[in-house]
Amino acid sequence: MIWIGDVLVSRGEGGVYGERMIGGARVWDPFRSKLAALYHAGIGIDLLPGMRVLYLGAAHGTTVSHVADYVDAVYAVEFAPRPMQDLLEVARRRRNVIPVMADASRPEAYAPVVEPVDLVYQDVAQPDQVAIAIKNGVFLRPWGDLILMLKTRSVDVRKEPGEVFSESVELLAAAGFSMQESIWLAPYHQDHAAIVCKKDQPVISRE
Amino acid sequence: MQSYWFGDIDGGRCILFEGSPADAAARIRSLVTSMDTYNPPDWRQAVACGVCRDRIEYLSHLQKVCIAGAEEAVREHYAQKDMELLQMTRTLDEMDTVINLLSERVADWYMVRHPSFSRKYRKTPAHLMVKNAGQRDRGGALGTVAQEIARLGEARTALAQEVSRRASDVMPNTSALIGGLVAARLLSHVGGLRQLARLPASAIQVLGARTALFAHLQAHAPAPKHGIIFQHRRVHNAPRSLRGRVARVLAGKVAIAVRLDLYRGRAVPEFLASAQARIDRAGTGNTEL
Repeated sequence: MIWIGDVLVSRGEGGVYGERMIGGARVWDPFRSKLAALYHAGIGIDLLPGMRVLYLGAAHGTTVSHVADYVDAVYAVEFAPRPMQDLLEVARRRRNVIPVMADASRPEAYAPVVEPVDLVYQDVAQPDQVAIAIKNGVFLRPWGDLILMLKTRSVDVRKEPGEVFSESVELLAAAGFSMQESIWLAPYHQDHAAIVCKKDQPVISRE
Repeated sequence: MQSYWFGDIDGGRCILFEGSPADAAARIRSLVTSMDTYNPPDWRQAVACGVCRDRIEYLSHLQKVCIAGAEEAVREHYAQKDMELLQMTRTLDEMDTVINLLSERVADWYMVRHPSFSRKYRKTPAHLMVKNAGQRDRGGALGTVAQEIARLGEARTALAQEVSRRASDVMPNTSALIGGLVAARLLSHVGGLRQLARLPASAIQVLGARTALFAHLQAHAPAPKHGIIFQHRRVHNAPRSLRGRVARVLAGKVAIAVRLDLYRGRAVPEFLASAQARIDRAGTGNTEL
């Protein structure tokens, strides 16, 4: 990752969402992006130039644009039309962003376009978001990484965040993902946990 | 055989797809991929098939196809009949909020200008009050603002009529039962006709009463009897003791009406007649129902 002092940046065409620039690099704000918050916390998977990433829940393409600055290709999946309009604008200006308007819980819809990837990054804030991540494990190469942004309030508001978190980790382990690291994203984001895991055997979808 | 965005691959043999990016995108949507036997596409395979020369070209072709596909999906989504109605209704409701807020402010401002003025014992509605302020202070800052608010009020009235008209077009049965405006508000609350048609009557009954509903679910507050549906005259004109029943019956009929609107798309007179009769009966307090 590229740091200027203690500021995380990425190198690419600026002006995507009015981000600040330092020395020609785009500042990647941890308060706006959960992935940036993860790197600020000192963990996460380093984004490298040759990497391919499947990004679920791409939204308006702000974080996508930073990821695209680092890696070879980003497959950006988003279901809602309004943010997709913004994401398309980002894709038109970046050669390596492949926009896909589809439901991340139905990977068969975009299976004909997505290559094997090195990293699945998932930020969809759905009650079944762990199941969605597991289903999308088919695109992950062996020993590939999964970063799951778990919004505990979306999974179940009535449960304690810690309880939701440990249940999610168990589900992931049962599907063949071994947990590497995890962290709560406070103070940047409330009730959000980041789970970093590795695919260590063929992913078993529980359906 | 595996089907990819650039064509099919059958045991090492490539059958390339020829056509524009938009055609390729349409083909992708028609493909049914079985995830059990799925093998992700490989750009080297595409090069071997002659789709592209290198990875850069692979990505650029793929991106063209995917952008075309996503653009078409967005277009299709917005082309649905209920999408513009949704925005119109939300605009209408927000205009109401803004007009009320500004009117209150202008009234306070007016009272500073006219210290002996009070709204007590006056029956003047807020919009007339704003209009008066606009006339009495013509040319001044207060007058200009007041006139603009009055104009906004006129735009709001025109929009309300248009919403009502559109609603009878998009939801003929529901609008006939509860009126275009209330029907449109239900629609805008859940985000679309399809979403509304999937709701059970019990949920439709309390749409818009979220705070009360959660107070009920989490603490021991009484259950809400009605939400947006209360705006219909048959609910708010009913005697207090009957409101719950009228709301429940009305919600039940609205749930059916919405489904008729979605799946038939035209008014169904037989249903409307029987539904109206049933709702009327609920409002009379006849217990033999």
